[in-house]
Amino acid sequence: MKLGWDSEHELFRSELVSFLQTHAPPEALGGRDLIGTDTGDIPQWARRWQAELFDNGWMVPAYPPELGGRDADPLECLIYAEELGRRGIPRSVHFGGYAIVGPSLLEFGSEDQKAMAPAAIRGDTIWCVGMSEPDAGSDLANLSTSAVSDGDSFVVNGQKVWTSYALHAEQCFCYVRTDPDAPRHKGISVLTVAMDTPGVTVRPLRHITGSAEFAEVFFDDVLVPVENLVGELHGGWRITMGSLAHERGGLWVDGVASAERAISDLVELSISLGRGSDPVLRRQLTELYVEVQSLRALGYKGFASFAQGSSAPEHSYMKLASSELRQRLYETGMDIQGSFGSITDDAVAVEAGRWQHSWQVSLAATIGGGTSEIQRNVVASRVLGLPRG
Amino acid sequence: MDFSLTPEQEMLRDTASALFSREFPSSLVRDACYDPVTGGASAAEAAFDRHLRPWISMGDESVVDQCLFMEEAGAAITTAPLWSSSALALPVLRAVNHPDADRVADGSLTATVALAGSAGEWRANGDVLKVLVTDFGLVDIVVFVDADGESVDSGGEAHVWVVPAGDLQARVVENMDLARPLAEVTRRPPGDDQPLTITEGDLGSVLERATVVLAAEMVGTARWLKETTIEYVSTREQFGKPVGSFQGLQWKLVDASLELEKAGAAVYYAAMCIDADDPDRHRATHVAKSAAGATARRWAKDAMQAHGGIGYTWEHDLHLYLRRANAADRLLGDSAWHMEQLALDLFQSQGQRV
Repeated sequence: MKLGWDSEHELFRSELVSFLQTHAPPEALGGRDLIGTDTGDIPQWARRWQAELFDNGWMVPAYPPELGGRDADPLECLIYAEELGRRGIPRSVHFGGYAIVGPSLLEFGSEDQKAMAPAAIRGDTIWCVGMSEPDAGSDLANLSTSAVSDGDSFVVNGQKVWTSYALHAEQCFCYVRTDPDAPRHKGISVLTVAMDTPGVTVRPLRHITGSAEFAEVFFDDVLVPVENLVGELHGGWRITMGSLAHERGGLWVDGVASAERAISDLVELSISLGRGSDPVLRRQLTELYVEVQSLRALGYKGFASFAQGSSAPEHSYMKLASSELRQRLYETGMDIQGSFGSITDDAVAVEAGRWQHSWQVSLAATIGGGTSEIQRNVVASRVLGLPRG
Repeated sequence: MDFSLTPEQEMLRDTASALFSREFPSSLVRDACYDPVTGGASAAEAAFDRHLRPWISMGDESVVDQCLFMEEAGAAITTAPLWSSSALALPVLRAVNHPDADRVADGSLTATVALAGSAGEWRANGDVLKVLVTDFGLVDIVVFVDADGESVDSGGEAHVWVVPAGDLQARVVENMDLARPLAEVTRRPPGDDQPLTITEGDLGSVLERATVVLAAEMVGTARWLKETTIEYVSTREQFGKPVGSFQGLQWKLVDASLELEKAGAAVYYAAMCIDADDPDRHRATHVAKSAAGATARRWAKDAMQAHGGIGYTWEHDLHLYLRRANAADRLLGDSAWHMEQLALDLFQSQGQRV
């Protein structure tokens, strides 16, 4: 156990840092939580930035150069996540394409489909991922959007919901039920569906902050060519969340880094509002600091297991812990403002309502990508080995 | 930061784990402290002499290594002046180059420190009565840390004497944890011997090792509570199924386990900081101690709840751990104190930046 990494890896870090310093656009630096724009559009600067990262081998460092990387090892991937996280720089504002679709196409797709991966990773093609449905949220295997083969095509009918960027996406990575009679996990397949296919309707779905990067997607007798099947027929469950395996050791970094920034900003905020000596607030912030620091240490501990190829039970805890922590941090940011804590008027609110906005955004963090309740169940059975109910 | 263990560190941990589980059954502590039987303490003393004296020298090794060893110690409740000698007294003696340091390190002398004044703060002070003297009655010598005035500030100096335990006037103060006895010790009038000196700043740094190692011990204590509880709720049945299958209990244990994982990581981060003399070592020590103390206490309470009535009995070992957890959290600064030190640092350094 030691604090620093070897010089070879620190060289990687300095190369990255100098790239970020000279290339990162001002819009990408820190500030408000990026959860897309009000309309779910992908801003031009974000498109340019993602392409620039790709072209310089900094988009998915573990990939080879033709896929936007530089054959980085796991530790280099961690350093990459650290440096972006520290600066609050997103590499993309739509993670579906580079983190889910690209890797899944490369792992499970046909040669033609594999050829679509670079554009997905570079952000040239905007993808949405059709997973959740009205009756398939935490219970994803309950999905019922159907795809019936007529020989040349699948006929798709059904509805997806919480589909990020569907309004602007050109392609959908869509989970469908191809065998209604098979056991639930064995009748699911994945299709790529061009969003301009007749019968596809997208309805924006505004969430509590008022923005609409979510949508509902309706499929009415949509004809999808059979060659759009990804992987095996009825084998789609294997493709769920085919996210970047080599980056799994550092997925927690971003959440921890933003929590670290938040805690130091909160201390500053309480001082600037004259509440730096309020004992209750000080205690609350100190407890949060302890929490952030221990969570950070836990992330690194998990990385050590990950890098050695063993399972990292630590990381099962990270999403649960960091999503709940963020909510508490942002809520504290509102509490520090006392009676003005709920004011969202940009012109009057402290830091243009940053804390109020971030808090609302953070409420989604304990729901999306596996609710906290599901995470607890998973830890109970898979990590602690408690008997199933 | 790299949490991976070297092969030597893995071996150290495994050796310690085997040593404590094999040689230190709870019957030793029970005979010596909880259900005193004639000659009951002699078995515990013999086990300490044979198996732990050679490990006092861990106080000269890296803090990470000492934490690995002491985490395993914490998973067994022992009554032995191991932490007092190796993590507390030995580093103080080394810091002042005291000739007895070598004899403590080689296991021929056991030692503790008398420092905390009547307010219970672990800072050099001029109080005649020193409190919270750990393992008094089990040790050969007491390292007496004293100051001229009420207390010394960070630039000031403290005096260090080494006094044979038998020469001090002391009163054992009953503590919840009977296996780590505490005493109040009255300062012996200074004789002809010249004390050595240590700055308050250096003393603080030395105490950081003792603090983090104690935190590692608490992590071990919490781990025993966790493992014992999970085993119990997985087999104990009510309403026709294991109680550990009920979601209400599962989530409680998940949340407590998450806290334990975080505390464990925070402890080794602090240990790495001290080993590297990183500027974050002070903050990291406060984080480690308060996180480890909180998790040990939480596990003690949750373990008792999860065990139901059986855990509330004298026969069950759970209360030995409950006592250890609650006493250790309050040693070397309770959680509230560490939080306040942290707050002072957080708000001060930030205030200067504004």
